[in-house]
Amino acid sequence: MIKNALKTSTILVAVTFAGSALAMDKNYGPYPVTLKDYSGEKTNTVSYSGQIARHVMEASLKSLAGKGDGTNADELEAQMLKYFNGSDEELAIIAPAGKDGFAIKQKTIQEISSSANLAGKIYDGAMTAWPGNLTGKEAALDIIAHAAASTKGYDADLGYDWGQVLSKYLIGAVAYHQAVDNYLDEKMTAYNKPNNKPYKDGAHYTGKEHSWDEAFGYWGGPAHTTSLDPNQLYNVSKRKDFESADKNGDGVVDLKSEFVFSPAYYAAGADKGGTKSTSYAQNIMNAFLDGRAVITEAAGEALNADQLAAVQGYAATIEENWEKVLAEAVFKYAGSVYKDITKLGELSSEDEKKEYFRTYAKHWGELKGFSMALQTGKNNLGKTAVEMNKLIGFGPVTMDLTYVTGVDADGKFVKDAWMNWSDYQLNMLQVQKLMVDTFNVASKTNDVTADLAAFADKLSADQNAETD
Amino acid sequence: MEIFDQIISTFSDFGNPKKRVFFGYLFLSVLIALVWLIVAKRMSLSKAFWKIFDKDIFFSKSSMADYKIFVINRIFTFFISPLLLTQVAIATAIYFALHSQSFIPAGVFSNVNIVLVIGLFTFTMFVVDDFSKYLVHRWMHRFPILWAIHKVHHSAETLTPVTVYRVHPLEGVLYSFRGVFAQGTTISIFFFLFGNVVDLYTIVGVNILVFVFHVTGSNLRHSHIDIRYWPWLERILISPAQHQLHHSVAEEHFDKNFGAALAIWDWLFGSLHLSETHKELEFGLDARERSSGYNLKTLYFQPLLDIRKILIRRIRKFSSAVTSWFTSDSLNMH
Repeated sequence: MIKNALKTSTILVAVTFAGSALAMDKNYGPYPVTLKDYSGEKTNTVSYSGQIARHVMEASLKSLAGKGDGTNADELEAQMLKYFNGSDEELAIIAPAGKDGFAIKQKTIQEISSSANLAGKIYDGAMTAWPGNLTGKEAALDIIAHAAASTKGYDADLGYDWGQVLSKYLIGAVAYHQAVDNYLDEKMTAYNKPNNKPYKDGAHYTGKEHSWDEAFGYWGGPAHTTSLDPNQLYNVSKRKDFESADKNGDGVVDLKSEFVFSPAYYAAGADKGGTKSTSYAQNIMNAFLDGRAVITEAAGEALNADQLAAVQGYAATIEENWEKVLAEAVFKYAGSVYKDITKLGELSSEDEKKEYFRTYAKHWGELKGFSMALQTGKNNLGKTAVEMNKLIGFGPVTMDLTYVTGVDADGKFVKDAWMNWSDYQLNMLQVQKLMVDTFNVASKTNDVTADLAAFADKLSADQNAETD
Repeated sequence: MEIFDQIISTFSDFGNPKKRVFFGYLFLSVLIALVWLIVAKRMSLSKAFWKIFDKDIFFSKSSMADYKIFVINRIFTFFISPLLLTQVAIATAIYFALHSQSFIPAGVFSNVNIVLVIGLFTFTMFVVDDFSKYLVHRWMHRFPILWAIHKVHHSAETLTPVTVYRVHPLEGVLYSFRGVFAQGTTISIFFFLFGNVVDLYTIVGVNILVFVFHVTGSNLRHSHIDIRYWPWLERILISPAQHQLHHSVAEEHFDKNFGAALAIWDWLFGSLHLSETHKELEFGLDARERSSGYNLKTLYFQPLLDIRKILIRRIRKFSSAVTSWFTSDSLNMH
């Protein structure tokens, strides 16, 4: 009996190891053509270059947002809008640009995709987190206009770091929104983009194959994500680890398949920081691989009920993990803002305070951007969104304790309320609590109460019922 | 295997330096008692030894009950503790609440020298903990419902270090609340004022001041070795003899010496009683308390019956007061 049990467990362990070894080096693509009546020459169905181009546009916009000098508003706004609306002209890749030791294959956006834009893909429902009663797209345009009119993307009076607010917001409003609320959502239903028909007339990939690949492209992880740990993913995105990036060894990083873009970068960031108890990046990557395997195995037939359910299950895993990644980022930057306020209180000279306020504004911008990103997904966050928006506010508490409360009839920001620093710190604590209570975040980078809780927990072991 | 683990964990307190009955502290208590008996009481070594390990005390019916209660309460603790409020929850809640006042900003003293912060925290923790023990202990004697529970502890007719565990499970719950509140409050206030550098100076993992309390014979408080201090010191620290006096059945000793380590609370609030020489103390309760030195059924259930009785009396009193109020009211109306 025992012998048998031992045998069984040995086999199980062996199978598990073999399984995980296989999973270790899975690559996203190439995947064969399965479309029944395809007669062309193509052999690989994977294609998500438009998504990569959008990641590059988002990164380039962030860079451009810091180029204002107070006099070039119109010119800069026009240039930024090219990256937002797309352009017939050739657009240089401003970020991520190649550098010494990290050569990048593409120099222009057109080398990646000829017709991509952000404007057509951005979330365009209500965006109540931003003042002015705007849609998601209008909010982005508003931020772009302010960034262009600012000096180096910063408004010291209002406490806005435009580049941060814009780029973090776009990570959600374009990539997250398109993936979880479109490609992995309605396009994974039975009658929408079926697997026994081409995605569109003349395409060599099926409706489901391409929908899934598009979602993968928005996630922004390299095709060889499974062979990279969170640190490597992080460093590739920071352009510090060429070896890990250059999978095919051709001496250049191909942005189309070898780079780590924002959503995947923040997933890896959460995994490598905080409690180190999460594996968002690999959870998402594995779900993408497994879901694609189901679609490929369907061999050009419409997905049956079981296959459809399996694919929808993987989509749900991706959606859930991705949402958590954004919530982790909100949690993290709420912690940064809290700590920055304490730091501001410690500094004695006005100059030092003014200088540090820039860091505070940067972190606040990231907090705000991610909190807006979180509101562009598949789920209507309802009360959670309202609560989060109230706690964070339209703008940060500034040096004179006032903060932006809205816009006037001319669209100018109004700062007509004030709040104590400690009240705002309490808001940040509440934001962290909200992220834990609502999204069950577990990495919890910059957890303000972590040390306190750990210490209280450590000492509580001393409690006893000794009575005198 | 499981039973073996269970036994080990039941007696783990004897191997845990955070507990008063840690064998190292017990050993030091024996040494202190020996020195006391030989030097102060002028006994021979063997006489002193047999006085300490007096079988009439360690195997008395009362002490045997202590040992059984020790084991039974471990089972209670196992089931009750997960239901209790955690220190983490209290500390975090207070920490949040501290942010809603605007007089003192968070981290206002975060530039203070770390050695000073840890020293101050270690000291404050000890003092706050000790004061809360005094206060709760005083309440245990003051309020009838609490006394119904606490008299289980006072029913001991012989005192040994294990008597510290002779408590009704409900008292265990109250004490754990006390600890959680006292420590949770102190920790959160310190983190709020000084930031995340707050820590405790410890020896073998226990607050250095608690450690001093234990190595200087805290176990002798529940014993028949009546070590006394100088009167001036008995106003600062409770001596074993002073605590034994707290357990005395003599009426003049009632409601005296509630303190745990520090006597200053008793001194400040008028409940201090210095130790007395040449007076044999009798421990336990008088007959009116309907308790028992050793009957476990009585020890565990009498408090519940007493509480029920007190509550019924209170309710009757209240309802008769309400009735008479209404009656007199209606009379007036006529």
